[in-house]
Amino acid sequence: MEEITKIKKEIDLDRRGFIKKVLSGAIGGSLLLVMPATAREIAEQIPGMKEQTDLFIADKKFAFVVDITGCIGCGSCCIADKNEYQVPDGHYRTWVERYIIDDHDEVYVDSPNGGLDGYTEPRDDIKNPIRDTFFAPKLCNMCENPSCVQVCPVGATFRTEDGFILVDDKRCVGCSYCVQACPYSVRFINPVKHTAEKCTWCYHRVRQGMLPACVNVCPVHARKFGDLNDKSSEVYKLLHEPHVISVLKPDMGNKPSLHYLGLRREVI
Amino acid sequence: MHEILATASGALGYVFPNDLHVHWSLMIVLYPYITGIVAGAFIVSSLYHVFHIKALKPLAKFSLLFAFAFLACATLPLMMHLGQPGRAMSMFLTPNPSSAMAGFGYIYTAYAFVLALEIFFIYRVHLVKRRQETTGWQHAMYTVFSMASDNLSERSLKLDRKIISFLAAIGIPMACVLHGYVGFIFGGVKANPLWATPLMPVIFLLSACVSGIAGIIVAYFLLRKIAGKSIDMDCVRTSIKFLWGFFIVDFTFEMLEIFSHGYMATAHWHTLHELLWGPLFNSYWVWQVMILSVIPFLLLGYVSIRKVSDSLLRIIAPVASVMILLQVLLMRWNVVIGGQLMSKSQRGSVDFQPHWFEKEGIFLSMVIMVLPIIILYVMGKVFPFWHDDNQSEV
Amino acid sequence: MQQNFKSSYNVHVVRILLTFVGMIIVGSLLRSLLLPSEFGDYGHYRPGAVTEEANREMRNKTNDSCLDCHYFVKKIHLKGVHEVVSCEVCHGAYSDHVKDGKVIGEMPVYRGEEIKSLCLRCHNKIIRARPPESIKMIAMPEHLEEKNVRTDHVCNQCHHVHAPYKWIKEAREMMGLPEKWEGGSSWKK
Ligand code: HEC
Ligand code: HEC
Ligand code: HEC
Ligand code: HEC
Repeated sequence: MEEITKIKKEIDLDRRGFIKKVLSGAIGGSLLLVMPATAREIAEQIPGMKEQTDLFIADKKFAFVVDITGCIGCGSCCIADKNEYQVPDGHYRTWVERYIIDDHDEVYVDSPNGGLDGYTEPRDDIKNPIRDTFFAPKLCNMCENPSCVQVCPVGATFRTEDGFILVDDKRCVGCSYCVQACPYSVRFINPVKHTAEKCTWCYHRVRQGMLPACVNVCPVHARKFGDLNDKSSEVYKLLHEPHVISVLKPDMGNKPSLHYLGLRREVI
Repeated sequence: MHEILATASGALGYVFPNDLHVHWSLMIVLYPYITGIVAGAFIVSSLYHVFHIKALKPLAKFSLLFAFAFLACATLPLMMHLGQPGRAMSMFLTPNPSSAMAGFGYIYTAYAFVLALEIFFIYRVHLVKRRQETTGWQHAMYTVFSMASDNLSERSLKLDRKIISFLAAIGIPMACVLHGYVGFIFGGVKANPLWATPLMPVIFLLSACVSGIAGIIVAYFLLRKIAGKSIDMDCVRTSIKFLWGFFIVDFTFEMLEIFSHGYMATAHWHTLHELLWGPLFNSYWVWQVMILSVIPFLLLGYVSIRKVSDSLLRIIAPVASVMILLQVLLMRWNVVIGGQLMSKSQRGSVDFQPHWFEKEGIFLSMVIMVLPIIILYVMGKVFPFWHDDNQSEV
Repeated sequence: MQQNFKSSYNVHVVRILLTFVGMIIVGSLLRSLLLPSEFGDYGHYRPGAVTEEANREMRNKTNDSCLDCHYFVKKIHLKGVHEVVSCEVCHGAYSDHVKDGKVIGEMPVYRGEEIKSLCLRCHNKIIRARPPESIKMIAMPEHLEEKNVRTDHVCNQCHHVHAPYKWIKEAREMMGLPEKWEGGSSWKK
């Protein structure tokens, strides 16, 4: 309390000087203690979701589009994802790959720590001049024909009626069959819970009208999420206009709902 | 940098970050190995009971007990492998009809019943007699084992014989289903180019027969030697012929599978090629194919075609059988571990080195492989292995 | 020699069959007891798992939710080019900091050299994979050499971390340098 009176006094004395100090970090956030803590409800990013109280989301068909031509490989999405789910080290719900193609068409791919620490060093093992280079973020493909759901022996992973593939960590036996079956390697066994885990497109956030954590933090809007039933949505337009857009491993027949804008054939 | 906790010991090329883990390790190598031995051993007894190969009579009972001892341990590696073994019952509660793994619980149980019943009927005379001879807890045990019946009349035994033939007959398709199914668990994984082939169940089944017969031959030699009993060379000759026959087909299919993969050279072949000529070269080409397949193949062929002396056969038969047993174990290893070494990125592979004392390590594997032998020993106290043991015949 | 047996000739078979039937009955009873409630109502899964997943704690919020309290940052952040960058990427998840409207933990704040590596995570020119349309990049130490300053300068000596052009623009205005900024009072380009 003493500090607050001190701060108040200081404000009275020299408003401008004080604000300068705050900005320079000398006083920092302490001022905030005086301000009323207004826990305002945050605005919905996906309109109308808070009203939906049924077991499943009605009238919406969500799709995810990743813009490979936009991604800067900063790994913000990986940080947000790790924070959101407290993913154990060495396991990845989402990750970002770096592709480098030299002028002999040799393809170099890497993803140190899944891109979580960002890309800070150039690759020094490439002898020929680099022709092209880009980043490719990866996450759950939310297949229409999910292999993981097909093989789960106990029905612990399933596709909801609104199109999300979720894992029931109370029933998963940890046999890893789904990990083997997923063509995209987005699944892992959580070393703490000993059950399977994977990206859910932040189902809990979506249910509360919020965008998936990775979409929300992407500074360049390379990750796009939206409703295909809404003809004005960005994803609808992207998927229905003539863009270079495709899915990963289409020959697997899984029919992913995750699409890649500007997908390059080098990306597997 | 975070320390990467991976179960793979190293990586080459680009591996998807989650593929640094080899999720199915030694336990899942043992699981098809053990079920394979079960299925194969059962085939040996059926050769006598259903196909009336008289020469195999000395092995007819023993092979059933042998199969049962291994069957009793078949779920052990699975339980050791599960992340949540406490929930294993869910496999029975809510088997997912679309899952290639969910049926195992039921198929396994059904097969265990058939096997147990067949053993019961074959040993019934013995059990009833022992019940009358013994007192105290042994008497109680034999009462349970003989279903508290003392009827050994001709009519009753005739019924038994009918039931035995029936059980042995349905046992064959069931053994095939049991092991073909295990092959399908792998063969149905389309994401894995080494596993995803319709030949996988066939290869698993044939190698199962081979490992079962070889296992029985080795055990026969060993146990008879230990007990100081004679070895029926006629029986050995016949089993060796069957072993060779099954092995010809098995080995052909194994090679055919690789050959057709290579010939069709689809996009996957690139990955497979890299695997088979990369991290798997030694364990696949050198050991599984060259040393442990070609050599026993020639040895078995030689003793099957040429009339060799008993003393030579006494050496070659167990040696070739041990080699075949190792071949099948290595084949399981190369399929199960090998399949996981390639990343689904199609651009890299990992290395895998099992450790001695980890959750699914070498030590535990050895315990699990020794356990059926202990069970067999204990079973031998109640159910005599050999027809020349002092007991009456069915 | 006809022996007399106490039990009938097929009693063992009957008893086995009865045991069998008994096991099936007990098994199916157990199954109906142990089956999770509502299992299979919508598909081969437990519907409760959907609700559980939907009610998972949301650990990240949005920039707006931070700015509710951080009034001073708000005045700066929203006016700068970094408006699009998430607070939580640089500072950590909301729920490690605030719970039920109350501050429960401190947020990590990068200082000094750490700031440099933070900025370079997104703006490093050597990592050539960044599409220039998405982001402006600089090479170090050329960026500082251009500005004729010592190369051990940290980014936030010239750039306000929350609005990189704030000070630069202010400095230009102070020096009366030609105005090449649009957007009126904002510190965007
Ligand atoms: C309920 C109001 C409230 C909200 C919402 C809030 N903060 Fe704070 N924040 C505070 C207060 C009060 C302090 C000062 C606490 C202290 O100094 O211990 C603070 C301090 C900080 C600091 C400085 C810590 C330091 O050591 O100097 C940072 C950085 C920060 N907050 C970031 C954020 C971010 C990012 C968010 C959004 C995810 C956020 N805050 C949301 C109230 C809030
Ligand atoms: C690009 C990364 C980045 C982003 C995005 C960012 N910050 Fe900061 N923030 C920093 C750094 C670095 C500092 C330390 C400033 C310094 O030392 O100059 C800081 C300082 C702060 C402080 C003051 C703490 C202090 O002790 O100086 C607060 C409060 C704060 N940030 C809140 C926020 C909020 C709220 C947001 C979102 C609107 C946000 N930050 C976005 C990097 C960032
Ligand atoms: C998470 C990624 C990220 C981090 C970290 C980051 N920035 Fe940025 N920065 C961006 C993006 C994205 C833009 C482009 C915004 C736009 O164009 O709308 C940008 C824009 C800028 C610009 C203006 C460039 C232009 O468009 O003219 C400057 C200057 C800048 N950042 C400096 C910094 C500094 C200094 C830091 C370290 C405190 C930093 N940035 C950290 C993402 C980041
Ligand atoms: C000596 C002051 C100074 C320092 C230190 C400094 N910058 Fe700058 N930076 C500037 C100025 C001034 C500009 C304005 C654009 C220009 O004229 O280059 C600028 C522009 C930028 C731009 C936009 C480049 C473009 O092409 O428009 C980025 C990105 C940037 N700085 C990032 C950084 C980062 C990251 C650091 C720390 C590693 C840093 N700066 C350190 C002064 C500085």
